[in-house]
Amino acid sequence: MNDEARYRLAAAQTALVRALLAGDAAPAGFDPERLRIEASALLAKRRRIVERIRPDLTDVLDTRFTELFDTWATANPRHDGISAQADAHQFAGWLAVHGHLPRRRRWRRGSRVIP
Amino acid sequence: MTPPALGVGIGWRPEIDLTIERLPELDFVEVLAENVRPDRLPESLRALRDRAVPVVAHAVSLSLGGADRPDATRVGHLAAVAQALDAPLVSEHVAFTRADGLDSGHLLPVPRTRDALDVLVANVREAQDQLPVPLAMENIAALLHWPGAELSEGQFLAELADRTGCWLLVDVANLHANSRNVGTGIDAFLDALPLERLAYVHVAGGVERDGVYHDTHAHAVPPQVLDVLADLCRRVRPPGVLLERDDHYPAPAELAAELTAIRTVLNG
Repeated sequence: MNDEARYRLAAAQTALVRALLAGDAAPAGFDPERLRIEASALLAKRRRIVERIRPDLTDVLDTRFTELFDTWATANPRHDGISAQADAHQFAGWLAVHGHLPRRRRWRRGSRVIP
Repeated sequence: MTPPALGVGIGWRPEIDLTIERLPELDFVEVLAENVRPDRLPESLRALRDRAVPVVAHAVSLSLGGADRPDATRVGHLAAVAQALDAPLVSEHVAFTRADGLDSGHLLPVPRTRDALDVLVANVREAQDQLPVPLAMENIAALLHWPGAELSEGQFLAELADRTGCWLLVDVANLHANSRNVGTGIDAFLDALPLERLAYVHVAGGVERDGVYHDTHAHAVPPQVLDVLADLCRRVRPPGVLLERDDHYPAPAELAAELTAIRTVLNG
C-alpha cells in the first residue's frame, strides 16, 4: 500500500471533521441533516466534559454558558494532544479576555471562582 | 489461537466500582485504557485481579481508521495497561477520531472503500506488532453515511479480520443503531463475519429520539438489542458478552438484572 491511499483518506476525513467541528461546508454526498445532528452531538459532548471539569464556570455564567461555549468551541475546534483539562482552561481564558467573567471579587475562603 | 472463554461481564467504571465488586455473578470486566495508569491501578481493579477476574483493555483513541500511522505512544500505553492487568486481549474500533490535527472526541465511521481498508489494515498490523496480546476490532454506531461505499459493513470488518488476523468485538447495540440509522442489514452483517474470530460482544442501552436511535450507554438495554444478541447467539456461542454503561447509573439491582437478561439470552 502506498501513501497515495493515506493522502486521499486524509483529505476526505479532514473535510468531514472540519464540517463537523469548525462549521465548514458539508463535503459532497453527506446528508446535511445527519451532519447537523452529529455536529450538535459532538459539540454537546465537548460542552458536557468542560462543564464537569469547570463547574465554577457554569455557576458564574448560568444560562449564558451554552451559547458562549458553543461560539468559542466552533471557532476553536480541539486540537490533537490537547487534554480535556487544557480545553476547559482555554475556554476559561477566552471568557476572561472577552470580559464574560465578573470582576475578581475579594477571595473568600472556599471560593471556587477561577477567572 | 482461539479467543478465550470470558463469560458475562460489565464495563468497569470508577463511579460504580463498589457495585461491580459486589455483583453476585461477574465473569470479567473491561477497562478504558486511556483512563488507567498502568503504574497506579485503582484499588478496586486490583481487588478484581486478586479474585482472578479477567480484565480486557479497551481503547478509544488510537484512531486506527484514520490516515495517520498509529501513534506509538498511544499504542504503547495500551500495551502497558494490558501488561499491568494481565489482559487476555485488547480491543479498539473500526473508526477514526482525528484528522488535520483536530480531535473530534468521538468515534467517526471509516469510508468503506478498498483504499480506506488498505490503510486500516496497515494501521492494525502496525498496532498489532506493538501489542503483547491479540487485538479485537469493534464495529461502531454511525449516524453518518459516507458516499461511495464499495463494501458492506460486514464485508469491511470480515476482510479486515481476514487480512490482519485480528479478532472481532461485535457490538450488537451499534449494529441495532446502524440498522435503524443507516440501513445496515443485521443478518447480512452477521452472515459476512468469520465468527470463529469472535472474541466478545458489547451490549448497551440507548434511546430513539426524532427517528434517530442514539447509542447512549445511559439507558436500559432495549429488547431489540437483546434480539440482535439472540440472532448472533444462533450462529455462534460468544466467548464473552459485556454490558456497557457510562452514565445515569441505575441501582445495583438493576445492573445485576441486565446481566441476568444477557445470561438468559446467552444460555437460551
